[in-house]
Amino acid sequence: MSEYILRTDELTKTYKNYKAVNKVNITVKKGDIYGFIGQNGAGKSTMLRLVTGLGFPDSGKIEIFGADTAKELNDAQKRMGAIIEQPALFLNMTAEQNLEVHRLQKGIPGKQCITDTLKLVELENTGNKKVKNFSLGMKQRLGLAVALLGDPEFLILDEPTNGLDPIGIVELRELIQKLNREKNLTVLISSHILSELYQLATTYGIIHEGRLIEELSLQELDEKCRQHLKIKVDDHEKGVTVLERKLNTTDFEITPDGSINLYSHLENVRIVSAALTESGLIIEHLSQNGDSLESYFSKLVGGSSHE
Amino acid sequence: MSNLLQAEIFKLKHNKSFWVLLIISAALSSLMHYLVVSEWWMLTNTPFEAAGIPEMNALSMFILPLFFNLMIGTLAAFYISTEFGSTGVIKNQIISGKHRSLIYFAKYVVYTAAAVILTVIIPVGSGLILKLIISGSIFNGDHLIYLLTSFGLFTLQLAGYTAIITLIAIMTGDSGKTIIFSIALTLIMFVIDQIPMSDLISKLYNYSIFHQFGTVMNPEMTAGDIVTAVSTGVISTVVMLLIGMYVFGKKEIK
Repeated sequence: MSEYILRTDELTKTYKNYKAVNKVNITVKKGDIYGFIGQNGAGKSTMLRLVTGLGFPDSGKIEIFGADTAKELNDAQKRMGAIIEQPALFLNMTAEQNLEVHRLQKGIPGKQCITDTLKLVELENTGNKKVKNFSLGMKQRLGLAVALLGDPEFLILDEPTNGLDPIGIVELRELIQKLNREKNLTVLISSHILSELYQLATTYGIIHEGRLIEELSLQELDEKCRQHLKIKVDDHEKGVTVLERKLNTTDFEITPDGSINLYSHLENVRIVSAALTESGLIIEHLSQNGDSLESYFSKLVGGSSHE
Repeated sequence: MSNLLQAEIFKLKHNKSFWVLLIISAALSSLMHYLVVSEWWMLTNTPFEAAGIPEMNALSMFILPLFFNLMIGTLAAFYISTEFGSTGVIKNQIISGKHRSLIYFAKYVVYTAAAVILTVIIPVGSGLILKLIISGSIFNGDHLIYLLTSFGLFTLQLAGYTAIITLIAIMTGDSGKTIIFSIALTLIMFVIDQIPMSDLISKLYNYSIFHQFGTVMNPEMTAGDIVTAVSTGVISTVVMLLIGMYVFGKKEIK
């Protein structure tokens, strides 16, 4: 089996004259928690609707579990669970009845799966209470239960924390992490709340105005967001020697433009500056750099992030 | 397919609108039959009178599209269209990986069965029960064969009609619009039936299920009429189902 759960190739969707999704290539690897970040209206939900078969792309290709033909994709969807935009629930039914509809639909034998799934999302004690009387958080959890029914291998969640209180958000995050850890569930989760994804995702895709502008791992993101001193001197090789000998540090890297990113001595800029000038180097540039996830995102999309 | 049918039956059983309509149909048909039988409501020149069973005259209301559509149009609105509305439960069905044609077909089958219960089984059944209670017997063989044949053919036309209403429900994806469009459809057909139209429209109408709803009740139907009725019902059902499956297959789910 492919190590990729989902791959899209130049996926495009146009509404009238507006390209909601524009040649997007994303890759979700098995076991990933893929955070799909974008402002409201960036194209996240449209993209997820295409992947789940609710909408149809104008061009491009979708590959799920290695399947890419219409029939194969239908079969592949049987191994997926999803909540798109909001939990789709029968409001006049109980939690158990909602799951029963989906159990019958999916042809899952036995009713034990309903009990187990309700327990997993902590809704086992809702009894005869109709969903219309549930809180928003309970509805979200029931939506998740519907998506999780039948033990899917790939879970797609579109803005799942909308309307959840802080405790609900933490609980949902812990549940997703638990499922990912214990069942090796691959998750594609979209959100515009960046800090929330930062604590959860292992890979990030940043979408803006329908275009995927960056796809990077957590390590790469950390690296990009790591605080450092950016130093540009007239002789960077000598500069490196100074840092190693005078400041006793090797916690730096040389960037392709010849700058040095120094990750230590962040609080001692004067000492760094003095060491370099005393060695006869001319400092062309010295600044403290590094982003929070929000400011990194802001920089990428060229505007203010939505927190 | 059986999974989808089971799921649809489960949803129908838990659909409040269906039960309300069921009670309305039972109450209304019992009342109408009683009023006819007790001769409080005098209906004449009905096909049932011509067939020699005037006790069933109340059924002449239930064979009018303008009348029965009020029930099955409402059912389509609150059983099918509502899934596309604010709750969006149709999304779960599509995401479950079942082929859209099968999803559509399962919805159509269960909806049609519910429509037959509401507009055929309950009205005819309540008439027969009332007849049994009042006179202590049901009709003789010929009358029963007439009822069976006419309502068998009527049900076939109804299957075509529900295929049209299912298509409207899927296309609009909105309960209110489904009711409005279904009423508009029956009104248009009623006008075509009552007002002289061009030859082409009249000819098309004469081979439509709307014309057949009245024709199949004629006790003097010839073998040719029966063949026409069967063909009209089957062809309309199949064509409308295929169109419905195609439309649903291409529909973007919001």
